[in-house]
Amino acid sequence: MPKHNLNIETQLIHGAFSPDKATGATTIPVFQSSSFAYKTAEELESIFAGRGAGFVYTRINNPTLDLFERRMNILENGLAAITCSSGMAAISTTVLALAGAGDEILSGNSIFGGTYSLFAHTLSRYGIKTHFVETTDIEAYRKAITDRTKLIFVETIGNPKIDVPDIKSIAKIAKENGIVLVVDNTVTTPVILQPKSLGADIVIHSTSKYINGHGNAIGGIIIDCGTFEWSNQRYEHIKPFYKQVKNFAFMALLRNQVYRDLGCCFSPFSAFLMSIGIESLAVRMERHCNNAAAVAEFLEKDSRTNNVRYPGLASHNDHAVAQKQFGDKYGALLTAELGTKERCFKFINNLQRAQNLANLGDAKTLVIHPSSTFCRDANEEERRAMGTTDDQVRFSIGIEHIDDILSDMEQSLKQL
Amino acid sequence: MNISVNGENVEMPEKTNVSSLLTIRDAKMPDMVSVKLNDDILDRNVFETTLLKENDNVEFLYFMGGGERK
Repeated sequence: MPKHNLNIETQLIHGAFSPDKATGATTIPVFQSSSFAYKTAEELESIFAGRGAGFVYTRINNPTLDLFERRMNILENGLAAITCSSGMAAISTTVLALAGAGDEILSGNSIFGGTYSLFAHTLSRYGIKTHFVETTDIEAYRKAITDRTKLIFVETIGNPKIDVPDIKSIAKIAKENGIVLVVDNTVTTPVILQPKSLGADIVIHSTSKYINGHGNAIGGIIIDCGTFEWSNQRYEHIKPFYKQVKNFAFMALLRNQVYRDLGCCFSPFSAFLMSIGIESLAVRMERHCNNAAAVAEFLEKDSRTNNVRYPGLASHNDHAVAQKQFGDKYGALLTAELGTKERCFKFINNLQRAQNLANLGDAKTLVIHPSSTFCRDANEEERRAMGTTDDQVRFSIGIEHIDDILSDMEQSLKQL
Repeated sequence: MNISVNGENVEMPEKTNVSSLLTIRDAKMPDMVSVKLNDDILDRNVFETTLLKENDNVEFLYFMGGGERK
C-alpha cells in the first residue's frame, strides 16, 4: 500500500521516514549543525537563487527539522510545513506574514491567553488591529469582516473556555470573502481532527503539547493546507512569490522572508524529541480522551464542583458541534468551578499525583488555576470572554490509570 | 525529443509528462519543487497531465533557499 494511503496510526510512526540507508538507524538523525558547507560557490549560489534544493543555515532550514516537518505535513494532509521555536512563534510568524500595519485580524474571543495577549496588546502596537467576536457566534464573524481583514483565527477547542466553534461554517464565510482561515489544532491534534477537512487554509500547532506528549520540549509548526489561492488580491505582498512558485507562495514568503527574518527557528534536538513523542500520539489520545470523559462525568456528578465544562458531556453548549467535528473523542481538557479561589488553591495543593504547572498535553495529569496564571494579564472583560473565573481549575487529563486519577481527585476534594 | 532542463539539453521519450520528468531527472525534493515550463510556473495539480514537447525549456525552482527574490 502506498505510504500516503496509510492510516494515521501508522503515518505517525512511518510517515516521511525510513531507516537510514547508510546505517539502518530507525530514529531521525539529529543534524545539530548551524550551517551546511558546499564544495563550490556555484552550488551555494544556486541554492540561494532557488534553482537548487539544499540546506544552508538552521535558522532557515535543516535536515532534521525537514523530516519532522514532512511528518506533520502528512498528518495534516498539507502542502508543506515549517517548524517554529514555539506555538506562539508559529502564530506570530503566520500573522506577520499575512498582515501588516493597518491590517486586521478577526479572531474568536475565547482563545488561549497568550494568543489573546499577542493579538490585543503586542500586535496592536505595530498597527495590526484585532476584532474579537464571540467564538461560537458564526454571524458575528461575517459582520466583523472589513476590507483590511487578513485572517480569521480560531482554536478547535477554546482554552480555558472549552468552547467549540463550528469551523466548517466559519470556513464558508472565510472562503466567500477570500480570507485565510487559520486554525490552531493544538488541543485536538490530527488524530481527532484534520482542520483542512473543515476548510482550514493554515493549521498551527504548539507541538510542545500533545505532539511532544512528554513535556520535554517547546515547539510550534505552521502547515499550509494547500487550499488557498495565493494570487488573491487581498494579499498583494504575496503575489511576487505566487509568480515564482505558485502553490508554494506562502511557504516561500515564510522561508525567504518573514520566517527567515524573524528568526523563530526550531532546534534540531527538540525536533528529534517531537519525532519520538509523536509516534505514540494515537494511542495516547485514545487514553487521554477516555480518561477525560470519565473525569468529566465524575466531576459533573460531584456536589463539590460546579459548571464542569467538557465537550463530551451532553450538558455542554457545543456538544452537538463537537460530536459532528470530532466524532467520539473530545480531547482531554476540561474545567470545573470550586466556589472560591481559596478552594481551588487548596484542591490543587492537596493533589498527590496531578502536577500543578503551566502546560497541557503531557502524559501526566496536569492542573492549573487559569485566572492567577496564564489569564492573569487579562482584564475583567477579557477574562469573561476567555471563559475563566477566579474559582475555576483547568485539567489536562493524562494517561495514568483512570482509577488513580479519580482517587487523587477524590482525596483532594474530600479535604475541602 | 530534445528539451532543456535547468539549462542542460537532454533527450526525453515522447509523451513524457512533468511528473515523470521529475522522476527521470531524480529531482531533489520532488514534493517541494516548483516547475517553470517555458514562461509559465505550473500549478502542481497539472504535473501529471502536462506533456512536454520538443524544445521545451524546463526549470526546477525551490523556495527553500537563503532568500534571493527575483
